[in-house]
Amino acid sequence: MRALSNINARSIAEAVAAARQANDAGQAFAFSGGGTDLLQQIKDGTAAVDVIINLRPVTDAGQITSNQTETVIGGLITLTDLAADATLAQRMRVLTEAAASVATPQIRNVATLAGNVTQRPWCWYYRNGFQCFKAGGDQCYSVNGENQQHAIFGGGPSFIVHPSDMAPALVALRAAFDVAGPSGNRTLSAEEFFVLPSQNPARENSMLNTELLVGVRLPTPAANAVSTYFKVMDREAWTHAEVSVAVVLEMSAATITSASIVLGGVAPIPWRSLEVERFLTGKTLDAATAQQAGAMAIANAQPLAKNRHKLPMTSAAVERALLRLVPA
Amino acid sequence: MSAQDDHCEKTDSVVQYLDPRAQSRRDFLQHTGTAVVASAALGSVSMQASQAVPLDVAASALTQLNLTVNGRAQQLLVDPRWTLVEVLRDQLDLTGTKIGCNRSECGACTVLLNGQPVYACSQLAVWADGMEVQTVEGLAQNGRLSPLQQAFVDHNGPQCGFCTSGQLMSATALLRNNPSPDAAQVRMALVGNLCRCSNYMAIVEAVVATGANA
Amino acid sequence: MSEAFEPVTPLQTIGHATARVDAIERVNGSAKYSRDIKLPGMLYARVLRSPHPHARILSIDTSAASALPGVRAVITHENAQIVWGSGSISGGRQYSDPSKDATLHRRYIFNNPARHVGDSIAAVAAVDRHTAEHALSLIKVAYEQLPFVLEPEAALADAAPKVWPEGNVCPDFRNNLEPMVSNAGDIDAGFAAADEVFEGRYDTAFIHNAQMEPRCALAHWEGDKLTLYTPSQGISNCRHDTARDLGLEDHQVRIVCNYMGGGFGNKNQNQDTDLIAATLSKRANAPVMLEMSRREDWLGVHGRWPTVQYYKIGVKQDGTLTAMQMRAYSGMGPYRKNSGGLSGMEAYACEHRARAIFPVYTNRTTSGNFRGPSEPHGFFGIESMMDDVAFRIGMDPVQFTLKNMLRPTDAQPFTNYSLEDCIVRGAELFDWSTRRQATPGSDPGAIKRGAGFAFMMFRAGVGSSSAIVRVDSKGHYTLFVGVTDIGPGAKTTMGMIAAEALGVPLAQVDVVAGDTDRCPYSVGESGSRTTIMTGYAVVEAAKDLKQQLATQGMPIGNAVLIASATPQPTTDGKSRQCFGAHFVEVEVDTQLGTTRISKYVAVHESGRIINPQTTRDQIRGAIIQGIGQALYEDLHYDPASGQPLTPGYYRARHLTHADIPPIEVDFIEVDDGYGPFGAKTAGEAGIIMAPAAVANAIFNATGKRMTSLPITRNKILEAHA
Repeated sequence: MRALSNINARSIAEAVAAARQANDAGQAFAFSGGGTDLLQQIKDGTAAVDVIINLRPVTDAGQITSNQTETVIGGLITLTDLAADATLAQRMRVLTEAAASVATPQIRNVATLAGNVTQRPWCWYYRNGFQCFKAGGDQCYSVNGENQQHAIFGGGPSFIVHPSDMAPALVALRAAFDVAGPSGNRTLSAEEFFVLPSQNPARENSMLNTELLVGVRLPTPAANAVSTYFKVMDREAWTHAEVSVAVVLEMSAATITSASIVLGGVAPIPWRSLEVERFLTGKTLDAATAQQAGAMAIANAQPLAKNRHKLPMTSAAVERALLRLVPA
Repeated sequence: MSAQDDHCEKTDSVVQYLDPRAQSRRDFLQHTGTAVVASAALGSVSMQASQAVPLDVAASALTQLNLTVNGRAQQLLVDPRWTLVEVLRDQLDLTGTKIGCNRSECGACTVLLNGQPVYACSQLAVWADGMEVQTVEGLAQNGRLSPLQQAFVDHNGPQCGFCTSGQLMSATALLRNNPSPDAAQVRMALVGNLCRCSNYMAIVEAVVATGANA
Repeated sequence: MSEAFEPVTPLQTIGHATARVDAIERVNGSAKYSRDIKLPGMLYARVLRSPHPHARILSIDTSAASALPGVRAVITHENAQIVWGSGSISGGRQYSDPSKDATLHRRYIFNNPARHVGDSIAAVAAVDRHTAEHALSLIKVAYEQLPFVLEPEAALADAAPKVWPEGNVCPDFRNNLEPMVSNAGDIDAGFAAADEVFEGRYDTAFIHNAQMEPRCALAHWEGDKLTLYTPSQGISNCRHDTARDLGLEDHQVRIVCNYMGGGFGNKNQNQDTDLIAATLSKRANAPVMLEMSRREDWLGVHGRWPTVQYYKIGVKQDGTLTAMQMRAYSGMGPYRKNSGGLSGMEAYACEHRARAIFPVYTNRTTSGNFRGPSEPHGFFGIESMMDDVAFRIGMDPVQFTLKNMLRPTDAQPFTNYSLEDCIVRGAELFDWSTRRQATPGSDPGAIKRGAGFAFMMFRAGVGSSSAIVRVDSKGHYTLFVGVTDIGPGAKTTMGMIAAEALGVPLAQVDVVAGDTDRCPYSVGESGSRTTIMTGYAVVEAAKDLKQQLATQGMPIGNAVLIASATPQPTTDGKSRQCFGAHFVEVEVDTQLGTTRISKYVAVHESGRIINPQTTRDQIRGAIIQGIGQALYEDLHYDPASGQPLTPGYYRARHLTHADIPPIEVDFIEVDDGYGPFGAKTAGEAGIIMAPAAVANAIFNATGKRMTSLPITRNKILEAHA
């Protein structure tokens, strides 16, 4: 690692001010929540950083607060704390299941919600130092290369898949994203927050580099809502999703009154399966419905030369995620 | 390109590797925040640096670090880019914590930070300022192995032994929260500790046995 | 027909579960591994490595690096031409000095051209790590990129890029670019006699040894004497290699390794890091610690050779083999460090056989020994093929094996033979007849269950090694053996053998190991030989000492008695093997592509078991490595650029605690009268059958023959598409 300096920020305001100062001085800087992925990228040379703004000491962005209409989760909450929250587990199980599925206890103990949502792609070209779109270059090496792990929806010109487990769960819960920066605070919808490569292949989200994800706002789910996070991994842990499904259903007995289906591991952004959501609304949740939903989920998939296997995985994952929620 | 582009800058995280002469110059600049140490404090700091101070960092950029390690207060002067595992191994001669991959992929460097298992290779030492660290050297009390360590001895926990420290730290944290875990709970708690000798079954047996005897 | 065997007579120390003699140091953090050692004035070294798969170095400018304050030495191929003798050997004979002297394709610590991504280009020693890394970035190298080739079959095509000027078949020990050929009988007659002939193609991936301890080396000169603190599973070999490479006498080199973090075959001999550290240390006149990163270890050391295997098998209708033919290609990387061989065929009895194995140069990272270097991939190939043959002629694979497996003959007797017992007992413990699908793939639904089996015999031959035993006037014994213990517990095993042979409790025996200045020759923990060979030397030395005690009595005062032994045992012309059978049940998810192992039974005959606890864990650990080879591990390259995409634990998906299936291990114990108290080997035995057994189970579950390791989800799903 080359020389760097570290600022232990004690508040969001301090962190943002430090970012602005470094940015104005032409220094390369990075926010650090848990820091595990950031340090890895610095050591690998896929991130060059002069100034690290450490957010661990910040105390004003890690809480869970809720009122009747919404729950707000601070962006700096650790994944361990998030996964352990009993109220969330009861009312928004998809969130705690997603958090518990990330990496390992050692990483979850320091990793933040914000860091997980904004982590850089794990494409093996990008992470091995290829000068691709994600590294500020002008091409994607996977599209005509080794694309076994790449996108079957929404790809082009970059074909990365979004690496976050929290992101599909948040999108399925209709989260809004609170962003803080030198110009003030703003709240973005999922559509505004996540960025397709066709919009900008260099980024995965629309924040400025001086901005921070300081919280997510989750509308209070209906009393009859059920949810789950179904994650398919190579090996049983410590791996990003090959395919994942975040499902939130509002039920009236065995009938689905509202459905939210968001896929991970298959697209550059958390991918809402709008056709499946429409199909499920008003249907009885049973094995036949689940199977049809699974088939529908891949109807418009656009596989690459080497990732066709993601299609049966995606339809099976959607089907099985739904089957988990069939009333006992 | 759409109207979104006002918020989409391409220039954020990728910066050219800088000219080393400019690098040194920048290192002499004052930084904001808490990174600066008053040079007057140098003489009074107890510094056990067996690693020489790196030459491309000026003394003013060294940072004071206060850690409690295995129950003992330590005051150190560190380069901000030193990881926690480097400081433990090189400044404090606590070489029981190992570096297996240096990138959060193996768990050999697991220590307890304020009681929680973390990968010490992926924490800058300066992030741990004011915190408590426990390493494998801190498990035995008055020369007596902890019951968990003894169980590892009895159940052939270590083969080559390189992952052992990390496994012990994760298991120690588990047993504090759950004194009698079953095998599945042990596996979940230790899932972030690889063992290439693949002595997983003996390690789990040792931890379960510790709980059974608790 | 199985051979009746006597249960082994119980012994005092041997055969009882025993805690490792150094267990305390391993659990309290006080065990010093190589990288834990610090010497005063120690410098830190880093190695610059080729970013290209094949490139000529046109120029190297190290002036800026040398001028950086804190840099004490910079070396490249221009100012440091040191041969690395064991890095590239005609014939792959790693212990043969004549082979190394005559090697056609010589490997140096820095090579030009660079022949794989990660090949060493230059090295620096500096006052601290960050300065050393910074210095690397200041070295300017001009490369001319050359065409590269990644796959062995492609490397043998006429127009293939040449990794070496003479061609891409690795030279044999006579420097002929020839395959390894072994034939018996008349292969054409064999096929003519067959009722049916079957063919198959199997391929297996490169597997990195992936030991937890990344390679390092601390070099320290005192005058003309070099001490290397280096993780080594063969300190005697490492010393000899290093001395030869540096132009020294053996006694001028001392190798110290008291603890090492695994190796599984990539820490035998010396490594270029030892030589680089030694050279930097000499130039800088200070101790030098060279640390490899995990990525460097992955690309700069070695792993199991990837292979492509073609089989052609002739059988009679009743299942009797009439002909076995194999043609195979082993990808060795740009240097032939080891043989490239493939085992498995010789476990079958068949008069007519032909085998040709081509070790082939490629521009991937180097291949070398990994736990059963020729075995698990070879046994996967042949036992998948035979499983397929059995299926196609409608025969249970266990019955097919019992019919065709190699058995003792008058011409070739064995010291003992337990293979049938292993298979029969394994089938019984596993409940083979119930768990095996009569029709492969017949489970309805997406999750399909099935069972598979594999067997093996593996060499447990005797050979020479050394031991020294000393007793003092207080009746305390010290055993000197050149072992290091890469994980199996060799220090403890040797101590137990000594205690048994001397007739004293283990607590009365100290084991001194891991230091060539203090310990005699040991064959090195490789090739499953330490227990058998060094253990036998311990027995002989103990015998000698007991004789001295009998004639002279206990020493008095400061006097000691010493005995040494370097025996040359034989097995009187008999084949000595260990035996095993593995039975595996899997559940294959044909929609997600996941394979889950639901039951694993392993039966082994490894002679007399010295330490049941460590031996059982050796088998279990090896099986888990074999499962990783079967289902996950690979070093995947980008074909367009020649860049490795998946070095490291995360990318190669090594098994975690959560991935471990239930594994039952059962030992059949025999004392065949050879080796130390009848001990054989267990260190490599456990891995040999695992990939074959898992793959055969997947076939029985799905009806799809998976012919390519690792059997990843995309391959399962493509087979079901």
